[in-house]
Amino acid sequence: MGIEKSNGYKQVIKWLKLSRKKPFRFQTDAWQYYAEGYCGLVNAPTGFGKTFSLFLAVVIEELNSRAEKTNTASKKRKADTGLKLIWITPLRALAKDLARAMREVCTELELDWQVSVRNGDTTAAEKLKQKKQMPEVLIITPESMHLLLAQKDTATHFHHLQCIVADEWHELMGSKRGVMAELAISRIRGIVREKHPERLLRIWGISATIGNMEQALEVLVPYPEVLKIIIKADIEKKIKIKSILPDHIDMLPWAGHLGHKLAHKLLPIIHKSKTTLIFTNTRGQAELWYQNLLALDENLAGQIAIHHGSIDYELRNWIEDALHSGILKAVISTSSLDLGVDFKPVDTVVQIGSPKGVARFLQRAGRSGHSPHETSVIYFLPTHALELVEAAAIKEAAKTRQIESREPIVMAFDTLIQYLVSLAVGDGFDDRKIYRELRETHAFGDLLPSEWGWIMQFISTGGDSLSAYTEFSKVVKKEGLWKVESRQIAMRHRLHIGTIVSDPMLKVKYLGGGFIGMVEESFISKMKPGNSFTLAGRVLEFIMVKEMTALVRRSKLKRAITPSWMGGRISLSANLGSILRKKYNETLDKNHDDEELDIILPLFERQAKVSHVPKSDEFLIELIHTKDGYHFFAYPFEGRQVHEVMAALIAYRLSRKTPISFSIAMNDYGFELLSEYPIPLDEENIKALFSPENLGEDIVGSINSTEMAKRKFRDIACISGLVFQGFPGKYTANKHLQSSAALFFNVFTDYDKHNLLLRQAYDEAFYQQIEEPRLLAALQRIQVSKIILIKAESYTPLCFPIKVDSLRENMSTEELGQRIERMTAEADQKMRPVHMKSRKKNDHNL
Amino acid sequence: MTIICKGEELILSKERAIYWAAQKMLIISDLHIGKSAHFRKHGIQVPAGIGDSDLQRLAGLIDLYDPQTLLITGDMFHHKSNSEVTAFSEWRKRFSKLKFLLIKGNHDQLSPLEYASLNIELIQKELSCTPFRFIHETPESTDASYPISGHIHPGVTLYGKARQRLTFPCFYFGENYAVLPAFSAFTGLSKIQPQKNDRFYAITPSGVIAV
Repeated sequence: MGIEKSNGYKQVIKWLKLSRKKPFRFQTDAWQYYAEGYCGLVNAPTGFGKTFSLFLAVVIEELNSRAEKTNTASKKRKADTGLKLIWITPLRALAKDLARAMREVCTELELDWQVSVRNGDTTAAEKLKQKKQMPEVLIITPESMHLLLAQKDTATHFHHLQCIVADEWHELMGSKRGVMAELAISRIRGIVREKHPERLLRIWGISATIGNMEQALEVLVPYPEVLKIIIKADIEKKIKIKSILPDHIDMLPWAGHLGHKLAHKLLPIIHKSKTTLIFTNTRGQAELWYQNLLALDENLAGQIAIHHGSIDYELRNWIEDALHSGILKAVISTSSLDLGVDFKPVDTVVQIGSPKGVARFLQRAGRSGHSPHETSVIYFLPTHALELVEAAAIKEAAKTRQIESREPIVMAFDTLIQYLVSLAVGDGFDDRKIYRELRETHAFGDLLPSEWGWIMQFISTGGDSLSAYTEFSKVVKKEGLWKVESRQIAMRHRLHIGTIVSDPMLKVKYLGGGFIGMVEESFISKMKPGNSFTLAGRVLEFIMVKEMTALVRRSKLKRAITPSWMGGRISLSANLGSILRKKYNETLDKNHDDEELDIILPLFERQAKVSHVPKSDEFLIELIHTKDGYHFFAYPFEGRQVHEVMAALIAYRLSRKTPISFSIAMNDYGFELLSEYPIPLDEENIKALFSPENLGEDIVGSINSTEMAKRKFRDIACISGLVFQGFPGKYTANKHLQSSAALFFNVFTDYDKHNLLLRQAYDEAFYQQIEEPRLLAALQRIQVSKIILIKAESYTPLCFPIKVDSLRENMSTEELGQRIERMTAEADQKMRPVHMKSRKKNDHNL
Repeated sequence: MTIICKGEELILSKERAIYWAAQKMLIISDLHIGKSAHFRKHGIQVPAGIGDSDLQRLAGLIDLYDPQTLLITGDMFHHKSNSEVTAFSEWRKRFSKLKFLLIKGNHDQLSPLEYASLNIELIQKELSCTPFRFIHETPESTDASYPISGHIHPGVTLYGKARQRLTFPCFYFGENYAVLPAFSAFTGLSKIQPQKNDRFYAITPSGVIAV
């Protein structure tokens, strides 16, 4: 039956007409399918009203059911208030804007709905109000959903629930927060089915384009018996990608990550745009660019701001508001502004350095030109010469829609344990019922009865059945339900949900008060009183650390070192890697129309002269002997993370034959092994060296998988409630219960080998850190490639960035600059004789 | 490993203890008996068996050196009495002739009666034993005697090539005072900033090494 005839639909259309709008096809499709009882996933470009495709669907249904009721008996309206729609969003920042938009709709349609936000920033008073009377629409983060489930009498909230929407699902899906969403949805669905078996609870997602759309839907709605659909908008968002090109390739360094050389070309772009968002890859880079732009143009002072995850929440809020109102000319940001919020004045986006992935780049591009049919404009500013090729590769990927997949997380036992304790803190749970629900989810579809048994033991008796832990108490069975009885444990658990797992962070505050932001403890621990550093664009002098707070004062210095926050380095995606290899072919063959590749051609010719430019079916290895030792460079183009493991693997295999030690370096294009002695290598043994045989075994032998697992265990111990990290700056209540994840890792290794959390740590290390499947694929590709072995005289344009990267690990930036200069000069000199000769010849001829 | 400190010969055991042969004294610190049970009581899954193995190691040391005195420089008991304290009480009976001296640490909260029943002599602040002075927390004031303390669970980090890094518990012998490693395996480490003339003895799985 067509929804167009319904009362609610007409009302909505009428309202849209008033503001001269017409729904898009995908929106009316979504409304129709929703009305028919479908679950699904909406995929549309930003700025086309993805929110309305689902929000209005629920509104239309409400309007229709009200119309129906007025037609029949109109008395019982009062009982119908209560939660109708749960809207999950990954970011707190998004919630405010969403709520504003939804409230506007309700007011204009004269719908007496309450729209509330619930997340870490929600006040206790507001939460209490919600507990008494739930709003009709609740905008919530996955963590707060779990907190809701950890309350008493939760089940009563869902009597009228019609729909759960997971916004920005592509972003949530690849993380443990996605698993949290899956679990909360499975429980709420279970409650609704039990209380209201006739109800059709609909679950919908909203997602940007990713490579595995179908899987994204399956993860969100894994239930085989429901009707499911993917609604894809047939509108293409126009994206204009433009590289900021150097006048000549020599203007760009061969290596580096700042890109300041092209900064002056950015100024006109900022000036002619209304508001520009400038994305960098790391927080440190953002700080440096802020200073750099101010140094180039003093008039920008007060008109530009810096936004990243380590900056004070209040300050970020101010920046976001200023972006809305268009006061700011430019904001330099990291991924903290990647998602969703529509800043209307933003008409230009700049990406500094490689975005490392197509999906991320397109998402960032979408931050500009938000209104439908407006074009998103994004500029790419390369930080070193080879990134020009990346620019060409990204353009092609964007055009041909080759976008990365997001891998959903499965079997996250830590998250499951946290969830079960949450339920036990709330109304308690029936283990058989929950097990059935879990088996229906995507994340725990393969959960074995034995694993489930272990987990139940873990939260109830502490250890497994063989070694029950004496005096352990947490979750106990009361009247058929598993519950947490201790108020103390319950309270600690509630505080614990949603603690962000990160390196220990310190607050940074002025001596006279005033919070600036956060830095990693490891950074501050290297500072001496009197040293200066930059944060939030300010130069600060470090005074002392007091109770998890670094006290500072304004420094008189103009420049200072910038904290390098950990985890800043993102690895190149496999997808982009393969397009990149193709672009290498095209550059030399000149069968392309990318201006970037024209610019870089001289560099490639140089590479071809001293070594070789690898084609996509070739695998290049360069052997270079310098006074530093014997270098071995290999170029698989698989991204830093894969190269790290591959380098260790090859080093291990080489050293197994003859005792030899290496220092290792890598970037997104390739890796280097450096040794004091000649490396025993020839065309014959290369393929055997890169063989995929015995891969698992050799990985274990080559890298310290225990160390990696230990690192992974930090998150796991925190999420599963073994260690309580505490909030930065806040004193942790119970000193007697403090310990560290590393300690637990050792203790479990020694005393409880079969602990599933330990297994999870190793699994995560192998699949996420080591990316074994991708490594295997890369080795297989190398096996069928043509091996090109070149003995070069000096550093080549291709190997240079790797060489420089490896220096970065143990030298400070200043010395690094000098060293790079010297090495470029050295490489140039060795090249020069050829040039000079030819020039002389020319002179002579003249 | 044997070292000479203030003219006295001290054996540093890799089981995280010092044996002072001249005084027939075995010295340990931060035993934290009952810590893992305390965690379990509060819903944190710490395997049983840690407490047992700490006591087994201690028994091994006692058998090895046959001391007259066991000196604990504080934090013998983690919190209040619990099942592990009961287990310790049984274990204690095996060494009824051995004198247990405990310098009260910030964690030690049992009642005087409980210490008495466990046959432990409690020392409120410090024990002078020329040329040393045993104390739980490092004193700020210095005098002629050389303080040997515990409390902070010292650790030292060894750096290798290719950004390799390993942290071990350690004995610390500084210019002005010394710190013992925590005896219990279920304890964390806090790193000490090295000063001039400091000596560190890292406890590696294979033995004690000077760093």
